[in-house]
Amino acid sequence: MLLSRSLSRTARRTRLQLMDHRRLHAGAGAPPPLALVQSGIRPESLPRHVAVVLDGNRRWAQERGLLTPDGHEAGRRALEHVILLSHAWGIRALTTYAFSQENFRRPKARPSLPWPNFSCTPIGIRVHVIGDPSRRPRSLQDAAREAEEQTRNNSKLHLMLATCYSGRWEIVEACRELARRVQGSLLRPEDIDEQLLAGELRTSAAAGEELSCPDLLIRTSGEQRLSNFLLWQSAYSELYFTDTLWPDFGEAEYLKALSSFQSRERRFGQRTA
Amino acid sequence: MSRPAIILKLILGLLWVIIHLTISLFNLWSLLIYNLQCYLISSGLLRKYQYLHLDRLNYLAIVVDSKEAKNTVKIRQLLSWLSTMGVKHICLYDIEGVLKRSFEPFMNGSKDEKARESLDIGASMNHSHYGYKNMVIDCLSGSDGKEGIAKAADLLCSTYFNGETHGNGKKEPKFTEADMASALKAVGCGGPEPDLLLMYGPARCHLGFPAWRLRYTEIMHMGPLKSMKYGAIVKALYNFSQKYQNYGKLLGFSTLNCSPAKSMNSF
Repeated sequence: MLLSRSLSRTARRTRLQLMDHRRLHAGAGAPPPLALVQSGIRPESLPRHVAVVLDGNRRWAQERGLLTPDGHEAGRRALEHVILLSHAWGIRALTTYAFSQENFRRPKARPSLPWPNFSCTPIGIRVHVIGDPSRRPRSLQDAAREAEEQTRNNSKLHLMLATCYSGRWEIVEACRELARRVQGSLLRPEDIDEQLLAGELRTSAAAGEELSCPDLLIRTSGEQRLSNFLLWQSAYSELYFTDTLWPDFGEAEYLKALSSFQSRERRFGQRTA
Repeated sequence: MSRPAIILKLILGLLWVIIHLTISLFNLWSLLIYNLQCYLISSGLLRKYQYLHLDRLNYLAIVVDSKEAKNTVKIRQLLSWLSTMGVKHICLYDIEGVLKRSFEPFMNGSKDEKARESLDIGASMNHSHYGYKNMVIDCLSGSDGKEGIAKAADLLCSTYFNGETHGNGKKEPKFTEADMASALKAVGCGGPEPDLLLMYGPARCHLGFPAWRLRYTEIMHMGPLKSMKYGAIVKALYNFSQKYQNYGKLLGFSTLNCSPAKSMNSF
């Protein structure tokens, strides 16, 4: 009896979800993507901002007897796929962690950007490169500047590529910005609070304060830590850790992460007055 | 509606039910396996979990949802288990400061013996630590997180510009991570980075645990506090002991094979 009640609840819930989808999109233009509907994901409950730590390219290559650059190439293709899926599903911001400041300690480490091999401009993707520009080679700085310039009028999806990035560096940079405002007599030190600091973070400057903090943070390859990524912004982010290596992270895995995000009861840590 | 359409609708409905039944059964099976494993671990029947090598676990953080943190019985039980397992240094955190207030009488040297006995706590040590069954426990709240960083930023700016009033006052402020760490310590929000953080609550998020101290912390979600299990904690500590951290460094070659010149045409 318990099982039949559970089944009827599930069937009723699914029927309601489908009705919601039809009602929501009646006369509104494009219906929600089929993949979302089939997975039972409600478009109105999608995260607005997803952050991803792209981990596992090297291991993926090693498991297949390939060279590390092959792993990174496969990782780049996986990133393109995730960008296009995020765009199609209406996710407003996507932040990816490609190269950290700690990675400089790797022998022969040469930072570069996992650029998608398609044009972002026609499909409304705005590119932001966040991280310490002084640690990037000149060619990378120029490429980043050009990409940001060419896509500055886009707004459908904010794509933030974190390279030469560190969460602590970002917090210190925010302090420096506030210090410059104090120096310019625009602010007093005692006025500095959480909100002002949050406003000076790189993600706020890129995508606006509304989209600064990720709702969902995904890390692949089985590691369960932030590794100095979005330390401030991830306070209320749903953390999703998967054993899948990044090059294997495709639509099915992404849907699993979104489904997991939707199904958990979320509280936003609001404190009582 | 025609007969074939009705039949098709029935078949699709049946398939839908079968899929949901399969998923529900799978979830039930997973839960049973999990509970069985916890029981076997608690009973000491699984040999690999009998001896925990906690030499790498210098500092353990426990993040609890504030609503669940009011359950002091469970918190006490959790601390007791961790003490049994040999954990020496713990940080308890909830965003609203419920845990801090629970232990506040003892941090301030209260003479309320009944309250002390109910929580079975030994003598207090200093303003933010207390001792419990050979463990040192820190209690943190949201004011030690983002608020603490804001206070440290205020201090940095004040100190910098007060120092500059005797000079030309126009130098670009150059704060470093070390400066921020010192400022955090000065405002009472410094502290070690936990090696492992266990989250208790419905949501899988760290609820604003001090951001500065979370760089390489292993994070594990343990579920609701009311359902906590001894075996689950042992398993978490065991899994942690098997982890390898390279802290961003690597012994190999790591780069992406992308040409910036090619990519400039992509945009």
